[in-house]
Amino acid sequence: MLFNSIEFGVFLLIVFILYWFVTNKKIKIQNLLLLLASYLFYGWWDWRFLSLIIISSFIDFTAGAKIFSAKRKKERKNWLLVSLISNLGFLSIFKYYNFFAESFSELMNIFGWKPNDLTLKIILPVGISFYTFQTLSYTIDIYRKEFRPTKSIISFFTYIAFFPQLVAGPIERASNLLPQIEKKRVFKKEWFNAGFIQILIGLFRKIVIADTLGMYVDSVYGNLEVHNSSTILFATFLYAFQIYYDFSGYSDIAIGTAKLLGFKFTQNFNLPYFSKSLTEFWRKWHMSLSFWLRDYLYISLGGNRKGIKITYRNLILTMLLGGLWHGSSWNFIIWGGIHGLVLSIEKYLNSSKLLLSIRKIDAFGYLITFSIVLLSWVFFRTQSLGSAIFTIKKIFSLDYNTPFIGDINTLANAVVVLAIGILFDLYLFNKNISLENLGAKFSIVKISIIATLIIILINLFYSTSSNFIYFQF
Amino acid sequence: MSKSNLKYLLKIFFLFIIISYTTDKIVFIILNNISDKVYSGQSIGKLNQYLQIKDSLDMVIFGSSRANHNIDPTQISDNSFNMGVDGRQLAFSSTLIKLLPKQKKQLILLHIDPVNAFSKNYAGNDVDALLNKYNRNKIIAKEIDRLKQNNILQKFYWSLSYNRIFFGILKNYFKPKYDYKNYSGYYPIYPTKGQQKNLKKILKQEKSKDCSEHYEINDIYEYLLDEIQLFCKKNNKNLILFTSPVLSDNCKKDNRLFNEIIKTKGFIYFDFSDLFEQDYSLKYWKDETHLSYIGADIFTQSVRTIVEDNKNKISSTKKH
Repeated sequence: MLFNSIEFGVFLLIVFILYWFVTNKKIKIQNLLLLLASYLFYGWWDWRFLSLIIISSFIDFTAGAKIFSAKRKKERKNWLLVSLISNLGFLSIFKYYNFFAESFSELMNIFGWKPNDLTLKIILPVGISFYTFQTLSYTIDIYRKEFRPTKSIISFFTYIAFFPQLVAGPIERASNLLPQIEKKRVFKKEWFNAGFIQILIGLFRKIVIADTLGMYVDSVYGNLEVHNSSTILFATFLYAFQIYYDFSGYSDIAIGTAKLLGFKFTQNFNLPYFSKSLTEFWRKWHMSLSFWLRDYLYISLGGNRKGIKITYRNLILTMLLGGLWHGSSWNFIIWGGIHGLVLSIEKYLNSSKLLLSIRKIDAFGYLITFSIVLLSWVFFRTQSLGSAIFTIKKIFSLDYNTPFIGDINTLANAVVVLAIGILFDLYLFNKNISLENLGAKFSIVKISIIATLIIILINLFYSTSSNFIYFQF
Repeated sequence: MSKSNLKYLLKIFFLFIIISYTTDKIVFIILNNISDKVYSGQSIGKLNQYLQIKDSLDMVIFGSSRANHNIDPTQISDNSFNMGVDGRQLAFSSTLIKLLPKQKKQLILLHIDPVNAFSKNYAGNDVDALLNKYNRNKIIAKEIDRLKQNNILQKFYWSLSYNRIFFGILKNYFKPKYDYKNYSGYYPIYPTKGQQKNLKKILKQEKSKDCSEHYEINDIYEYLLDEIQLFCKKNNKNLILFTSPVLSDNCKKDNRLFNEIIKTKGFIYFDFSDLFEQDYSLKYWKDETHLSYIGADIFTQSVRTIVEDNKNKISSTKKH
């Protein structure tokens, strides 16, 4: 069930009515409703993979309780290993098995040995990367004695499967979401307003901006050979905004939906292209992932506590694995590698105070950061390493003639809706307003007028729906 | 939930519905007024022109960009119009054909493509280009509903009719692309140097294509063809189907089989795929399926010949 589908609209309306008007007396029944609704939401895509979520949830529920109650350190460690091995095992089989099998075959080919086809026909369960990280954070936090496990299996299963964040995040920590699940929710007008407006803005970002930009980007990236440097660079520029509005739009709908049900999710995007360094970019882009990687991977590897060389190693390793988390291909690993390398360089320049003097000129910092992010998106968008290298070569081949226009109507729509999106972001940035709270204080009339305006814009400019880019991860 | 919260939700719900419904209708009416005055451009102008002149025409050409850019109707008939539109297929053409007057004798030239006919995925989506007339034309609304290509919200939010064509309408309202009174619907292509360069690149890279082995005519495609045939028979229309030239086609089986199927059904059909087989000069082409104005000129002459031949056939059949 996609957020930008009529089915989801009907589904949310039914859940909302049952949630606040029928099951609101008893929290257990309300949570059971959320759990069933979440499984229905997930099963709508493929009910077979529900078993995977249930098994994964059960293992972590048990592991969490055992880690907490274990008296000896070794026992605690063993139960943590059970959680890590089972979760990462599922992820490896479903997401990475074919990638490693193919890479192994290719490596063996170099040495003249041609093994049989080792790949398997495996379907990637939607959202596996997201809920795996979520379940891991639960057991790791308990192991670190930063969180007490829940005794309610329904609460825990609901935490893992909660439909607004199940398939593409934000990756909610147990410490944030579980206490909210276990506490009685109260309907708040401010939250309803903020959630409603954020859902509509998210829809606009996704089906108007991202999908419209995607039409031009697809037409260029689908036929790279025939386009000149300026066209490919322009398409990459548009892709940078397509992926931003696609994913931030999804997050907006998720966060807004949760708010309608009385839950507060963590912010996932905070105007990331207004960043003066890559370090700042990662504090604003897919924040729930970058903070997860920082807290559970970078710090676990030693963070910056073991000397400067180990810090650089940890940074690069974290970003390489962060890249691999996105998808099982060399493109994502290289994408992560580029970010890791630049983050390390920034750290070095910071320590030598060189960057500080450059950063004093704001525009310079914005420009350099955006350029690095832009170039790295090539690896994200292309389907293979060969294609990424070809694209980079094309961009630097300096064939800067008139860019390809294609359907003038599509391009005009893309430019105008992108301008609306950027102007709105600039407004939020300059006024220092968080989108999460934008609608909270609106009056009934104001909220109806703004919602109408967004709906009319959606009606006039929406593009036929395509999948959210981050669903593939 | 407290009563005050329930009241709040109901208030917001009804206010939002009322404001959005009213605003939507105002936007719809304004855009109707503007778009009704637009007679140029592919977004809506060409359709408006067709709706204005369709009853008086002697000949109309329908189809995709391969009709739009490849045939000059004025070279075939003085009172004619090329209603080919880029990216459109049979559902779009079939709906427009059904808008033609009942009793006036007219010649219809309909471009069809065996590749589309054998496509497993064709669902008549191209009819969505007529959504801008959904709330104002019953025949169009019926066809869109029948092909399940309407947006479920369209009945409530009428401004959806103008989805993605807003700028096209505004642009052509303030600055028409051409004087429609002298426009025959034909849109010749004058290839740029860049396009010619690209075509050479494509041809250099082109490897032998894998031919589809699916030779079952698409249900919707077949149904639409049958409906067009029936409409033409009932309403005094002469129908000729044709396929325009392609630069290189390794897969001939689909054309042959399609020819057999279509002739068994009693259609008059001409396949011009190989019209330029003897002369592959790139000056005739913009890309692999679209002719340059030079190629289109030659192709138009071929179409003209078959039209004249068939005129004689039709009239001689009638005399007998």
